[in-house]
Amino acid sequence: MPSFIKALNSQVGRKIMTGITGIGLMLFLIGHLAGNLTIFGESDAFNIYTYTLESLGPLLYVIEAGLAFFFLYHAILGISIWRQRKKARPEGYKKYQTKGGPSHQSLASRSMIISGSVILLFLVFHIWHFKFGPTETIALESVGTTEARDLRALVIAEFQKPLVAFGYIAVLALAILHLAHGAWSAFTSLGMKHNQTSKKVQIGAYIFAIVLMLGFIFIPLYIFLTGGEGSLIAY
Amino acid sequence: MKLDSKVPGGPLEQKWDKHLKDINLVAPNNKRKYEIIVVGTGLAGGAAAASFAELGYNVRSFCIQDSARRAHSIAAQGGINAAKNYPNDGDSIWRLFYDTIKGGDYRSRESNVYRLAQVSNEIIDQAVAQGVPFAREYGGTLANRSFGGAQVSRTFYARGQTGQQLLLGAYQAMMRQVHTGKIKYHPRHEMLDVVVIDGQARGIITRDLVSGELNRYEADAVVLATGGYGNVFYLSTNAKNSNVTAAWRAHKKGAAFANPCYVQVHPTCIPVSGDYQSKLTLMSESLRNDGRVWVPRKKGDDRHPNDIPEEERYYYLEERYPAFGNLVPRDVASRNAKMVCDDGLGVGETGLAVYLDFRDAIKRDGRDTIEAKYGNLFEMYENIAGENPYKQPMKIYPAVHYTMGGLWVDYNLQTTIPGLYAAGEANFSDHGANRLGASALMQGLSDGYFVLPYTIGDYLAKQEPGKRYGTDHEAFAEAENAAQSKIDKLLNVNGNRTIIDFHRTLGKIVWDKIGIARNAEGLKSAIEEIRELREEFWQNVKVPGEKNNYNKYLEFAGRVADFFELAELMAQDALDREESAGCHLREEYQTEEGEALRNDEEYSYVAAWEYKGLNGKLEEQLHKENLEFEFVELKQRSYK
Amino acid sequence: MSKEMTIHLKYWKQNGPNDAGHFEEYTLDNVNEHMSFLEMLDVLNEELMLADKEPVEFDYDCREGICGSCNLVINGQAHGPKARVAACQLHMRNYKDGDHITIEPPRAAAFPVIKDLVVDRSAFDRIIEAGGYVSVKTGSAGEANAILVEKEKADAAFDYATCIGCGACVAACPNASASLFTGAKIAHLNKLPQGEVERKNRVVAMVDQMKEEGFGDCSNFAECEAVCPVGISISAIAEMRRDYMKAALRGD
Repeated sequence: MPSFIKALNSQVGRKIMTGITGIGLMLFLIGHLAGNLTIFGESDAFNIYTYTLESLGPLLYVIEAGLAFFFLYHAILGISIWRQRKKARPEGYKKYQTKGGPSHQSLASRSMIISGSVILLFLVFHIWHFKFGPTETIALESVGTTEARDLRALVIAEFQKPLVAFGYIAVLALAILHLAHGAWSAFTSLGMKHNQTSKKVQIGAYIFAIVLMLGFIFIPLYIFLTGGEGSLIAY
Repeated sequence: MKLDSKVPGGPLEQKWDKHLKDINLVAPNNKRKYEIIVVGTGLAGGAAAASFAELGYNVRSFCIQDSARRAHSIAAQGGINAAKNYPNDGDSIWRLFYDTIKGGDYRSRESNVYRLAQVSNEIIDQAVAQGVPFAREYGGTLANRSFGGAQVSRTFYARGQTGQQLLLGAYQAMMRQVHTGKIKYHPRHEMLDVVVIDGQARGIITRDLVSGELNRYEADAVVLATGGYGNVFYLSTNAKNSNVTAAWRAHKKGAAFANPCYVQVHPTCIPVSGDYQSKLTLMSESLRNDGRVWVPRKKGDDRHPNDIPEEERYYYLEERYPAFGNLVPRDVASRNAKMVCDDGLGVGETGLAVYLDFRDAIKRDGRDTIEAKYGNLFEMYENIAGENPYKQPMKIYPAVHYTMGGLWVDYNLQTTIPGLYAAGEANFSDHGANRLGASALMQGLSDGYFVLPYTIGDYLAKQEPGKRYGTDHEAFAEAENAAQSKIDKLLNVNGNRTIIDFHRTLGKIVWDKIGIARNAEGLKSAIEEIRELREEFWQNVKVPGEKNNYNKYLEFAGRVADFFELAELMAQDALDREESAGCHLREEYQTEEGEALRNDEEYSYVAAWEYKGLNGKLEEQLHKENLEFEFVELKQRSYK
Repeated sequence: MSKEMTIHLKYWKQNGPNDAGHFEEYTLDNVNEHMSFLEMLDVLNEELMLADKEPVEFDYDCREGICGSCNLVINGQAHGPKARVAACQLHMRNYKDGDHITIEPPRAAAFPVIKDLVVDRSAFDRIIEAGGYVSVKTGSAGEANAILVEKEKADAAFDYATCIGCGACVAACPNASASLFTGAKIAHLNKLPQGEVERKNRVVAMVDQMKEEGFGDCSNFAECEAVCPVGISISAIAEMRRDYMKAALRGD
């Protein structure tokens, strides 16, 4: 039997790991969205949430490292599969078209490398932008601190800039495509058969991708359109 | 040349077991000193190569296709017979034997056919163990069906792809041995000659079809499992690359060719639609269970078939054969279709087709029932013919399907050249003058898995282990030079007529005059026409390209050249056989009702032809192997 | 009478694996609607040869959709526009008078071009050689009915076993992956009790060989299923992955 490392490197192992990391990242995104939506809660809910996360201490680093590992592993596999594809077909077709029917070739599936790469670049910016962005210090009575970062103010301020708001929206829209194929493909990679269930999973994947990403998109869109003063935002 | 069939004595049921006890064995440590060449990777060749390697012999396997898995056995649809008697309907080895002998119109060897029936059961065991996914009952046991008019259900099947599944089983068994290194595997190689040294087959000359290079391979024995010669007719249900070259060149080196005139024509094929047609597609004869065969009563009636009223339809099989009707055997159905078309009653653009009508069956059983039974066949027909058989009758016509004739072999499957064996459709051995449905797969696998692996040992045991003459031996050089000069000659003609044009013309002569029905006059004129056309071929054929490259038309040219010679022998053989037997119908020899009339007194023999030379005309000497029927009584077939 | 039409062809010519290759064009008049696609190419070659030009080489044998020899990519689709047929069973009535048709060989590093439209698919043989068989000795099998096989399993195994090995899956896959071919053989054998014994070794050996031959990874495009002339489902790939996971995690 193959060693575990060899199994991970096989063409089946790579795809299975793409699926597992993908599912992990989707779970993370659900949590991420839930956290983000606290911006529409009590005036200090969002900051309490971010402060609580940041005060996890070493545990936070473990989580962050894990997350980084999932993202990077997923990205490296994706890029490597794309590179192998170039090697496996050095000379392309003059003419190429899908035959339709049971095929899952679509804008979504064919653009995974592009949507994935954009998301990867976006991620670097996003971390720099918010995690390491400049913030004022505020006091949060309910958690007993006077030194919390006012990330909420940063978010509201940033998303009033058209370039930032629409940049985020564009990337998040692209992520719909990535997730629409990815959410179905992950289960297929983990051994789901191509049958009625698979069709339902594909529909579910589209709904999931759209709902999740609209959730994310809603935040910059709302802040931008209301100039940060909409009734959903409590002051 | 002396024909010695080497049939063991004793009671029929004990011959094979006794033979296995009597023949020589090769010691395990000696087996690895022997090398066996197997040409062809169909059921017989693939099974033989795998089995030899399993026993410990070194094997070289050759095929013309790009993979062993593509041999034409793959196209067999219906099934494989075995005397398992699972349905408990009274089947037995004896019954399978008897049906096969009778079906072959008493022109095959009793001992060989009995052995075939005996090992049929082991074939099923073997195939199942290899993972061949045969159809099964809900209880998990193997399913059977009745096939080709047999009175028992003895046919095992894997939907309509039994040949494919059995071939893949043999191919996989072979690839397993390729993996162990016991088989050296040479796809895209064509055998051009057999090398004979001191009267024994010692190797072959091949052409690498990719590089064009000629190669010499030496071995202790050579097995030809190269299939049948149906493509001499140009149009047949055979694959395009199926050919007689290996067998024919062995024949010219001294192997007798037996019963070349026995060619089976399948009655239910999709008819020819034009000159461009490259092959014919067979549809399962099970269609005749529900379809009614007819033509218009009036000549040149060009109305749409649905507009022709009942009383103007000529259901010729039902009228002529009230007992069997549309279910008469293959040869009878084929012959009658040709007769009505010859009378000008044929339908379609070419006039070479008859209707197979499901209107009444659909009315009786409903469309759903018919669809459940024949849905995939109807779909296939619609795809090829472009007409919907639920709405209008199918058009069908007979097509060449299988050749019972082939290299003469003894009970050990050895040809008249010691060390040269022939297996499967390439030999003549088991089907007599007519093959029963679902028997071809059985014979191929029987030869490959269960007969050759033992009988070849008997020969090898008498050879000095590891003896090599070396491929520098003059016999190798001569054979290679001959093959090379033939290729050069073909390329140098540079005439004006394409190979396909010649082949099509040859095929038409053979079909018209050595086809479903023959007569002395037609056969004599066929011989003349074949000779003339062959002459023209060598003067005027156009072969494109180079010899040192992939060149499919060059391959074809060599094969067509051999078909030209074989065709003449077929006519000679048909002319010699002044009787009708099985698929060989001589119009001069019929009963008053127009049925085939055998002449057991004078023609109860295998006609084995020895090549004597080719000089404008083919010279062949006839040797007769008399067929003794100790265990069955000869009867006239009747389907009235 | 049957319809005749004019077809404009553009086909790949490549004189051996090291030649760069190029397209050539030819217009065929009098293409009969009943011709098969390959018969149309036969006619093309007849015309070319009579004009002292080199014919175009393409692979074929049975011409009834079962041998798997033909593997043309026609207007960018393996085996052409019709689902569930091989190119040999594609008929010209699927085209219109005046149509333009581009014919290319399957393009994959693992299938090097031999000449024109003919490629070397021996990589498939080597994948089978790695483990696509049941290791049973010939001539000594037990009674066929001694092991019962559920009808559903036998039928499913048969569906996977109908693969004709044409390589359309590789040709059409955007990644040039051989997963459907490999998965189909693994699923066929692993589903049956006769093949089940070696399931772990088989799946690992065949998956490794697939990579060794230089095929791409599977990205679940399912295009292979769409072009497969016998309609093998990508469930075969799911079966392969399940078996592989079991083999890798549980070991022996």
